Amino acid sequence: MQFYLKQAFHLLLLLALAFFLYLMGEITLRYLPYSTTASFLQIKQTEVTSLPYYLPVFYIHVYTSIFCLLAGFTQFNSTLQSKHKKIHRTAGYGYILTVLLFSAPTGFIMGLHANGGGLAIAFFVVLAGLWWWCTYQAIAAARTKNFVAHRNWMIRSYALALSAITLRLWKVILVYFFHPAPMDLYVVIAGLGWIPNLMIAEFIIYKYKQK
Amino acid sequence: MKTINLLLSCTCFLFACKGKNSSTTEQTSMQADTTIRSAAIAPEMYTDLYGNWVGDNEVTERDEEKFKGQEISRLNIIIKQITDSGVIAQSIVNGNSRLMRGSVTKSNNNYEFVMNEPGDDKYDGRFEFTIAGDTLSGKWQPFDTTLATKTTAYRLVKKPFMYNASLMLPAEWDYIDWANVKEKNEMYKDDVSGATDTVVNSYYRSASEKVYTINSSKQKLTEKDVKNLRKLDLQILRNTIFARHGYTFKNRGVRQFFDQVDWYIPISDNIEKDLSLLEKENIALLTRFEKYAEDNYDTFGR
Repeated sequence: MQFYLKQAFHLLLLLALAFFLYLMGEITLRYLPYSTTASFLQIKQTEVTSLPYYLPVFYIHVYTSIFCLLAGFTQFNSTLQSKHKKIHRTAGYGYILTVLLFSAPTGFIMGLHANGGGLAIAFFVVLAGLWWWCTYQAIAAARTKNFVAHRNWMIRSYALALSAITLRLWKVILVYFFHPAPMDLYVVIAGLGWIPNLMIAEFIIYKYKQK
Repeated sequence: MKTINLLLSCTCFLFACKGKNSSTTEQTSMQADTTIRSAAIAPEMYTDLYGNWVGDNEVTERDEEKFKGQEISRLNIIIKQITDSGVIAQSIVNGNSRLMRGSVTKSNNNYEFVMNEPGDDKYDGRFEFTIAGDTLSGKWQPFDTTLATKTTAYRLVKKPFMYNASLMLPAEWDYIDWANVKEKNEMYKDDVSGATDTVVNSYYRSASEKVYTINSSKQKLTEKDVKNLRKLDLQILRNTIFARHGYTFKNRGVRQFFDQVDWYIPISDNIEKDLSLLEKENIALLTRFEKYAEDNYDTFGR
């Protein structure tokens, strides 16, 4: 009975992920074709026009980050982990290289110019830094065959990747209830987008340890 | 910030500001010019009555069931030409700028006017008014008797129009968007019986103090200046530029903020050419942020 409940719960999580991935895909498509004034860039023209690196960094982030989220479908699946190691490994390297080379560094640079001022900048920069660090630790652990550490670091890394979704979800919730001014809201979700995620990740890791 | 948490700023009501029928009005004003020139042979009289007569136009008779509009709006009657053959004037109110023709009779020291709008617009009608001393007063009735508004009354005084970039919305007012309501079904618990029920609560957007502290005609706005503003603030800041130029707003959601302002004189439904470069840049910036606020503020997307 408990087994089926667990299976159902996992399926539900995957369905939710699929749904939010679809929404994220829609957002990404707003930036196709390439434009200097698409969507979010409408309120970033100061950076777009004064920082030559901002647009390339921004577009690398937008076009690559969506693929990081895909890892959630395959990488936590125990069958793929044990019986189809090759798939797990290939997809895993895809995730790691995307995060380490593209998504996290560009996120860090964008974070330095984040809307909402000092605190929001701090939240985004720390998020990008932690994401890179956790992902790096995860691959380092896998290469030394320390798979428990690998799993733990990956749980943290993916929890931080999911901030793309949770940050936007918090926005919808907070606007519905409190109607804050746009940048006041932004500071709050910059932190709320990933800090609870990381806490949940630590809780999951703690639960694994207890087993 | 005033009573913002209660008068919640709701979503996505568009303020369309640029007049849709600018093409028809351009035609009308061209007609007006030619008429004035061709009739210029006849000697003009009572020229001291020429100019803007400005004041409140109040709906005094209406179809209670159909009427949804604003009861008081700012009216400008421009008297342009008086000759033996008739009077040419312009009525500017509620986003309509209409050329009127009619006649004047002088009795004692009063001038009695009967003026007809062209009749090819749904809201055209007849103005009947008297100028006595420094006051113009009278009534207006639509040609179309099925309209919700049956009669309006007005008392106007002569006011020259002059563009002044320093004019600001009054600081002592609250700016609440009464024209756009958002209704939410919400649970409420009856304290006496303990039963829960749903009620429909109405929410209105309210603007921040920025709408009377930022001057969008004089100050070059940066993204930083407007980033934390709600959509209503952005809309009002942009429309204040148009109001300073005497633009007559069609949209009731915009008009509600300007029709009561002392300095506001509707003078034209096309002021695009009068905008300064700085104003144009500010309008472009504000429009960008309004659009972003609409697309992204309370949805998942960003």
